[in-house]
Amino acid sequence: MPSSLRQLALRALTLFGVLLAVLVLLVVTLGATGFSDDLLRAQISEETRALRQGLAQTIRDPAQLEETVAARQEELTRFYGLDRPWYTRLPAAVWRVLRLDLGEARSLRTADGDNDVGAIVLERLPYTVLLLTTSSVITAVVGLVVGVRMATRVGSRLDRAVAYFAAVSFAVPAWWLGILLILVVAFRLDWLPAGGMYSTPPPQGTWSRALDLAYHAILPILTLVPVSVGPYIYTVRTMTVTVAQEDHVLLARAKGLPEGRIMNRHILRVAAPPIVTGLVLGLAGSLSGSILVETIFNWQGMGRLYFDAVSGAADEGVVVALTFIFTLMYVVARFVLDVLYVLLDPRVRYS
Amino acid sequence: MATTRSGSVPDPVTPQTESGPPPAVGPVPAVQPAPAVVLDDPARSVAETAETVEEGSDGGSPLRGALHLLVAGGVGKAGVALFGAMVALSVWVFATYPLDFGTARWSNPAVWVDNPKNAPPAWTTRLGGEDEVAHAAFSLAAPTETRAIPAGEVRTFRFPIAFPHERAPTALSLTLSGVTFHGRPPAILATLVRPDGTEARLASVPVRGPREGEAAPFRRGYDVPERVLLSADPAAAQGIGRVFAERYPGLALPPNLADVLPAALFGQPAADGSGRVDPLPGDYAVHIQAVVADPRDELAGVSVVLGGTVYGVMGTDGLGRDIWEGLLYGFPVGLLIATLTAVASTLIGATLGIVGGYRGGAVDAVIQRAADVVSNVPTLPLLIFLVSVLGRHLWLIMTVLVLFSWPGLTILVRSMVLQIRSGQLVEAARALGASRRRIMLRHVFPQTAPFIVAQMIFFAPGAILAEASLSFLGLGDPSIPTWGQMLEAGFRTGALYVGYWWWVLPPGILIVLTALAFMLLALAMEPVFDPRLRKTA
Repeated sequence: MPSSLRQLALRALTLFGVLLAVLVLLVVTLGATGFSDDLLRAQISEETRALRQGLAQTIRDPAQLEETVAARQEELTRFYGLDRPWYTRLPAAVWRVLRLDLGEARSLRTADGDNDVGAIVLERLPYTVLLLTTSSVITAVVGLVVGVRMATRVGSRLDRAVAYFAAVSFAVPAWWLGILLILVVAFRLDWLPAGGMYSTPPPQGTWSRALDLAYHAILPILTLVPVSVGPYIYTVRTMTVTVAQEDHVLLARAKGLPEGRIMNRHILRVAAPPIVTGLVLGLAGSLSGSILVETIFNWQGMGRLYFDAVSGAADEGVVVALTFIFTLMYVVARFVLDVLYVLLDPRVRYS
Repeated sequence: MATTRSGSVPDPVTPQTESGPPPAVGPVPAVQPAPAVVLDDPARSVAETAETVEEGSDGGSPLRGALHLLVAGGVGKAGVALFGAMVALSVWVFATYPLDFGTARWSNPAVWVDNPKNAPPAWTTRLGGEDEVAHAAFSLAAPTETRAIPAGEVRTFRFPIAFPHERAPTALSLTLSGVTFHGRPPAILATLVRPDGTEARLASVPVRGPREGEAAPFRRGYDVPERVLLSADPAAAQGIGRVFAERYPGLALPPNLADVLPAALFGQPAADGSGRVDPLPGDYAVHIQAVVADPRDELAGVSVVLGGTVYGVMGTDGLGRDIWEGLLYGFPVGLLIATLTAVASTLIGATLGIVGGYRGGAVDAVIQRAADVVSNVPTLPLLIFLVSVLGRHLWLIMTVLVLFSWPGLTILVRSMVLQIRSGQLVEAARALGASRRRIMLRHVFPQTAPFIVAQMIFFAPGAILAEASLSFLGLGDPSIPTWGQMLEAGFRTGALYVGYWWWVLPPGILIVLTALAFMLLALAMEPVFDPRLRKTA
């Protein structure tokens, strides 16, 4: 147990390092391109304008007013460190990104019309998490069930068909599959909505709204799952087959144990950690897949927000916040799977 | 832990997590896909595999064995065939397309102004459906006939136009891509020869005379070609009106011929006297006559465009661009992205892996940590961030891809090197006093080479898909059109929702095919570096 704990701690440290590295990359890029300076300058001019309006009531003399405002502006510039080179402000910039304190978006708004970058991104977060977790869970379940069944029929026609399917689904980008599904299922057959999250007008009542959301989520999920499930089925199958060739399985068979028990206790138990790892590695794929799939299906999550933020004049603040949140999500998900990995490791005895 | 894919690797603590496939690049699910063996006839492929590998190792080069193996199975053959076709197309495109194709042609609206917008491919009419007029462009660089007259020369350009359609074309236009004259400007006259034996005067094209202070030779229309829309010219309406009056006397005509002009030019008054214009199929010809005063005068190029509603091999997009032309251009670009990115990240990954694994110690530790951190970064979000902040450049996209895709290979190669290092070969070399550098290059690298080559091929589809994804988000390099950008244009302008399949499907199919070509090559090579796969099947 201590060794696996140490392993987990090491993973946690690495993943924290990843987050830190991405953060530093973000702020260095922003600093070097002058974006973070623009952000601060905008904030200062906002504050001085507010000050001028407030003082206009008390100070009648325009010259004196200007002087006071200018002094305040000077003070703020020094306070934010704008009089020093950008790299001296890095720690402060990291802190701003961490708190999603990235100013106001140019044109993007929340549903209530708020243009604060943090608020916009956080509003979209649940929708992306919904799409991602649902499709990941489906992928995991289907992959496990089908993969294990495949493993008992190595070389069969079905097995080979799945092998081809895995290769093709590896090469097909999720977003292109989404386009195909829109063309066929949504337009040709008119079975499911081609995009959006709610019908117009949205139904009233929590339950019917949730049902409507689920109805609109079918096609995006149908897009995300096939792309990741093929390789995953294959990983599960290969892992299971490999373990099935080991000596301890032979011994179990020689002892005359029932086949079901061999599969569960002697094969799957051993194959479990790498199978979980397959899921970890698929995560990166579904994360980027979800960005594009959301874009295609006009699913108002963070992926669609990316598309909106980079189209036309880029809304850098939103892009920064999204990149950070996506990295954070990825790192957290990986850590959860790492914990699962350690828990599943058959060499660990809980007693 | 023998359950890892690279089971021979002595790395008990971190199985699959780190000795697994290369990290995900872009939208690719990172799970390493099917090993090749199952795709083939198991027995045959095992025999062949064993044979070719032995052959290779007898020759002393595992790399050659790997290449033999590549073409041994059906998967490998399919991969090589696909890849070969793509390379051949790329070479052809590279030889025939201008180098600045993206800026000078693809993104230049003037080039596409005559083309119909959103026109489906011409061959769709043959699959049933309605009779559509195929868009056609004709051009001549030299006159068909030159005749001397006292006042100079008459040069005639003849454009025969077969018109078997039962409906009217959308337009008829004439483009002069450059006129040089020395004295009087040439008089240019366009005439339409019709299958009913008549000739309709279409228009005379004015060429602006010398300006104050301008010296001969005078050049006109070289930068912006002189374009005359014949089917909207009042002179053409008069011309065809005269023809109708002479050839079809007494038949009712539409009240204003200018309103039905393209139809009238390629039609005849309805015989029932209803005043409509019926199409007149047959062989037409457009004659362009240029009367030049000086034999040195030149007409650099004359072209006539018959506007249709279907276009070429793959139709046109919303700006009238020839989709087929853009699709072809995507081949060299796609292969370039794939090859450069794959080679660069393999080079970095393999070098770091060999150096780290062989030298060990602090160098190894640093490389290990770095690889661990970089391999855990989600690539696409970071790509989006960097490209949208730093600018849409292809080199930037490729650099970022390289910077984030090396760790997988480093981790794998390192674990292989750890094993090779303790082998007799290296021990012998060291005993003979070979330098560290020499051992790494001459003894360690060759043993890992087939594996590294296979991994290099594995990188390629990821790079193509990542670039396509990025382009699809609208972050592609605007000066270099790619398949992803064509798809993006289709998606953004709503082509998807109105069913312009010829615009959104082919680029996607080609992206998938290219990625598949590399995948098949990689799959065919997998048994080379995973001996257990030979045993399994």
